[in-house]
This record gives sequence, C-alpha cells and structure tokens, in this order.
Amino acid sequence: MTDDTTKANGLSRRDFLGSTLSVGAMGLAASMMPGMDQAAWAASNEVSLYGVTTAQLKDWSRMTDSIGLTMNYTPTNADIGIFMRDVMGNNLGATQDIFIFDGGSEDLLGPEGFYAEIVEDHPELTLWERTPDSWKRANFLRADDKQFGVPVIGNGDAFGYFPEKIGASPDGMDEVPWTTFFEGEDVRGRVAIDRSWLQSMSETANFLKHHGRLDVEDPADLPPEAARTVADYLVERKRAGQFRTIFTAFEEQVQLFSNREADMINCWEPAVKEANNALGPDTVIYAFTVEGYYLWGHGAHVASAAMERDNVDNIYKMLNYFLGGEYRAYQAKERGYAGPNMDLGVKYAEENGWSEEDIAELKWTEEKVARKFQKPFSCKVVPENAGVMEEEWQRFLNA
Amino acid sequence: MTLAAETAKPTRRPFLLRWIDGLRPSSIVVPTFLVAWSLLVLLPLLVIVVFSFFSVKYYKVVYSPTFETWESLINSGRWLSAVRTLRVAVTMTVIELLLAFPFALWLAKGCRSKYVKAAIITLLTIPFFLDASSRIIVWRSILGANGAVNSLLMWLGVTDAPIEWLLYSEFAVHFGLIGTHFPTMVFPIFLSCALIDNDYIAASQDLGARPSQTLFTVIIPLALPGIVAGIVFTLVPLMAAFVEPQLLGGGFVDLLGNSVNSALQQLKYPTAAALSTFVVALLGICLAVLILVLRKRADISAMFVAMKR
Repeated sequence: MTDDTTKANGLSRRDFLGSTLSVGAMGLAASMMPGMDQAAWAASNEVSLYGVTTAQLKDWSRMTDSIGLTMNYTPTNADIGIFMRDVMGNNLGATQDIFIFDGGSEDLLGPEGFYAEIVEDHPELTLWERTPDSWKRANFLRADDKQFGVPVIGNGDAFGYFPEKIGASPDGMDEVPWTTFFEGEDVRGRVAIDRSWLQSMSETANFLKHHGRLDVEDPADLPPEAARTVADYLVERKRAGQFRTIFTAFEEQVQLFSNREADMINCWEPAVKEANNALGPDTVIYAFTVEGYYLWGHGAHVASAAMERDNVDNIYKMLNYFLGGEYRAYQAKERGYAGPNMDLGVKYAEENGWSEEDIAELKWTEEKVARKFQKPFSCKVVPENAGVMEEEWQRFLNA
Repeated sequence: MTLAAETAKPTRRPFLLRWIDGLRPSSIVVPTFLVAWSLLVLLPLLVIVVFSFFSVKYYKVVYSPTFETWESLINSGRWLSAVRTLRVAVTMTVIELLLAFPFALWLAKGCRSKYVKAAIITLLTIPFFLDASSRIIVWRSILGANGAVNSLLMWLGVTDAPIEWLLYSEFAVHFGLIGTHFPTMVFPIFLSCALIDNDYIAASQDLGARPSQTLFTVIIPLALPGIVAGIVFTLVPLMAAFVEPQLLGGGFVDLLGNSVNSALQQLKYPTAAALSTFVVALLGICLAVLILVLRKRADISAMFVAMKR
C-alpha cells in the first residue's frame, strides 16, 4: 500500500514507542513550563505533525524558507491499529496539530471527534479552491458528508513483474491482468503476496468481482459471505502452489526481486525502483492492470484539540503547503508519488531550474497516476467488516 | 530514686523492633514473595482470561461477556497456530537437547584448555547481543532458490534445479531456530555437568562400568537439574518465537506470535487474550501429563537433592 520506509529502515515497535513516549514527554514538559502558554505555542511558528513516514520530505528546511514554518514531524508506520490506539487512547491531539495517515481513518476518527472538520474557506488555505474534486472530494477524506482531510499524496498499487517471465512488453505500457498474478502458469510458485489483508484481500476481491466471480459492492469492505469466498479462493490458490511466500515488510519486497526469488509481487512502487537500482533500469516493471488498482491517498487531518489552540493559522498554512508546487515536486522526485495540483509541481520545477529529465519524470508521474485513477476501485483502511476480514485472512494463513 | 538505680533497670525495647527481631527470614520472604507473585504474574493472567470473554466491534472493545471470541478462534483456524506452535516448540526443544547435551558435557568435562572453554562460552553469547532480525535475515540469501546452498548443490551436480523447500518452509523455520535457542539449552546443562565431582565418574569407571553405564547412571541423574532448566529456558521462549517464522517461514508457518501480532494490529485484544489463555491451558495440560507419567517412573523432587551438594 504505502511506501512504509519505517519497516524498510527496520523501525521497530521499540523505536516507535520511544518516539511516542518522547512526544508525550515533550508535551508534558511543555505543559509544565510556566511560560509555555497558548501564545507561546502560536509564536513558535512550529507545527507538530504525527504521520506516516512517506509523507515526509527529506529536508523540511526548504519549507521553512518558503513559508516560514518549522516542522516537528513524529513518524509512525502504516499500522492502523497502532495509529488508532495513539490517537484515541493516548490522546495525541493534546500535543500534535496534524495527523497524516492513509485516507479512511476519518470514517472513525471524524465522527468520534478526534479530527476537526476542514475549514474550506480559511484564509490560509488559498489553494483549496483550485484543487480538483477528484482529489479533495475523494471518499477517503470524507465521512458523514463532511470534509475531514486535505489530500497529500496518492498512488494506485498493483504488482511488479519481470516482463520476460510472462511474455509482456518490456516498455511496461501493457495492461497485465491480475489473472496472471493469481492463476498464471508461467509464474506458479513464483508469486509473492502481501501479508497485509487490507491490501491482498481487497485486491483479490476486486479481481474476482471484475470477472463476475464475486458479488460485492465494495471490494475493500467485505461482508462475511464475500470475505469467506475470497478466503476460499486464496486458500485454493495457496494449495495449488501459486505463492512462493507471504511477505511482510518493504525490504522483503526489494529482496525478493533483487534475489529473483519471486517473479511477481503485489508490492509498492518504490520497491520496484529500489530493485531496479540493483538489477538495472526497467528490469522490473510496475504494472498497469486490467482489473484495477488498490488506490490510496494520504490525508492530512487537523486534531480537534488543535483548533482550540492559537496556531490554527499556521496549521492551515501548512495544509496549504501540502497542496502547493514545492511539496508536490519533491514528493514526486524523492518517492515517485503523485498528488493534487501536479501542474504546480511541474511549474515549480521549471521555475527553479530543474533538469529536463526531472521535469519529464514529474509529468510522467502525473500521467501515470491519472491513468490508474481511471479504474473504479479504492482502498479502505478501516472497513466496517475489518473483524471478519482479519479472521478469514487467518484461515488463509493457517490453511 | 537514684541515677544508678534508674540505669540498672532493664530497658523495654519498642514493640516494632521486638516484632522484627522475632521474625524468621521465611516468615518475611515467603509471604512477600507470594503476594508479589500473585500481583505480578497471576493477576495479569486472570485479567487475560477475563478479557478473552469480551469482543471487539469496529476497533473498540465491547465489555459484555460473550463466547464470540472463542468461537472465532475455532472458525478462523487460529487455534491451529497455537497447536502448531506447541508442536514446533516441543520438536525444537528435543533437537536442542540432543545437540546441546553432548556439547555441554564435552565443554564441562572434556575440554581441558580454559582459554578454549572461555572462547566457546563467549561465542555462545553472541546471539544475545545481535538483533534477531539482522541475524536471521542473512539465511534468506543463503537458503534461497538462488542462494549459496542451492548454487553449490547445482554446481556440484547434486541437483539440477534449486531445492525450493530450503526456504519458506517448516524446515527453514526449524533451522533458523536452532542457533537462537542453542545457548539457552547449553548453559544450564554445562553448569550442572561442571558441578559433577570427577571422582564419581572415576569411581564408576574403576568399578568396571561401561561409558554408557556411567553416562546413564551417574552423569545424567546428576545433571538432571540443568537438563530440566535447559528444557524450560528453551521451550518457553520457543512458544513466543516470532522472527524466524516470519522471515524464514515465508508466511506458510504461522505461529502463535504472528497470530497474536496480527490480532493486536487490529486492536483485537480479546483475540490475543484468548490465544494466550489457550496456550497456557495447553502447557498446563502437557505439564500435568508429564508429572502423571513421571510420577510412576521416578521421583521428580529427588533431582533437586543433587543441587544441595
């Protein structure tokens, strides 16, 4: 789903807890400092953000140069359970201004009052109006007809493959069917599937639905009957020997390609980039598919408690930065991810003397993601049927 | 009354001091230990059992008693991971014991150089200093289809195609677990063997016992406390093995740790609690069976007598 480089870097739960405790300790210390009142919070020009690593820029100082804010970023991994626990149980809103997570968390955290509704006409949110509805009105940023998030980045996940193994065009422009992934004889026993049931079960359900083998409204939120059908199918494919391994981490995706241990993986796009760094350009292709993608987007959400503090203007200035050209250009360059207002990213690159190659790459990123987003399928990080989906996934693992 | 008469009168010590003086060590330590044990170990265990009878709806625990979680444990096949874990743990404990006992005996009685002995003991501690993931992940590039072992076998002409089950299989998981849990079996056995008086072994030989007789009638009975400790220190951590199944099992060897982790990631605390309760019950049954079987063949408590010496 996301480029979870926290896993790639080996960020363990211990590291995560350490950072969480640091945040808590800092918050506690700040609240006990006599001079650290609401005014001081506002005057610091610092915005505190707790979110997935992928949303980070490698260097936030250019943001400080551009809009005068400083970033205090506490990274977390893409584990929805841990994120929910920290926002709801550990009350991170007391110390954090903005949360960035896979779109969908607002379904629970919005109505529960942990996320504040976005003030669309806030004077600092100058780019909101020109942001396309396809991004800002995406269902993974809204709940109960209310806007709880600002789009940050997004992509459509599919699978990577060695083109020569399935007789596909080496230019990567072919649409490869998911049928190859699940049932292809050429890759039997050479397919690696993600252990994340959110992604793998949704992708399987979408594939089955596309071919009329499953009747379900939303492939990302499977009611008990549909979840059982999907698990049955996966168990059947597992017993048929289709899968080489069920992987867990980002580094595994890279290693499986680099060692040529697997020929096809429903991985994240950055894993293909990393593998090609070792194997040579375009050795592994990230697929355009027939049936669709696991479309995801990160949303930036304002903590409800932050709206009671005096740095709301700074918070909205930062939200606006996420919609702007500088953030867009560097996200695409550093991670290959697209986002809203990609044209502003291209404009920024041209005005700041980026090379022709880099500008072409930005344009390709925009074109690529636009092509993927034409397919009618998206993800849901907090499906209503999460419980039953996880149980059925366990049946697949234990088969 | 004169001053001399006052000083001659025996002073009565405060009640608290007299009470403390009257206490024997066992009357302080034992109750304190029992209370601490109850609070630190048994109480959380009780909470876990109670929690297993709650359920989770949309990432929130529903605090009303239900068998829903226990039913899902069966329907999802999660109970299989607990049974599989027990099977792998017992198998690995037996393998470790068979490997570790001769090694520990040699280290304690056969190895004459104290420098070699010190070096070996130091080397055995290495697994404790390295992060498990970094240590285990190396095996993937060695055991993989294009790894060192398969390349060597194909180069030698032993096989035409890579042996796939070397990685992402139960074999790979067992292989990976050997190195991790070898020291915890070796150290207690080494210590108990080192305590065996050499004169006992010499006397056995002088009386005409064969080496096997000396081993089974002198050495093993005297080393039994170390063997039991080794089994406990190896079996228990094996029940929580997490890294090896994940990295070398390739998702095909789902053990308890992985299943619990998956449940916790979805905030399904009752499921994790039910799995833990199930395992504790399984271990309890195993222990009860072991005691019942051994009670007819040997006096278990007698082995601790050797530790008095």
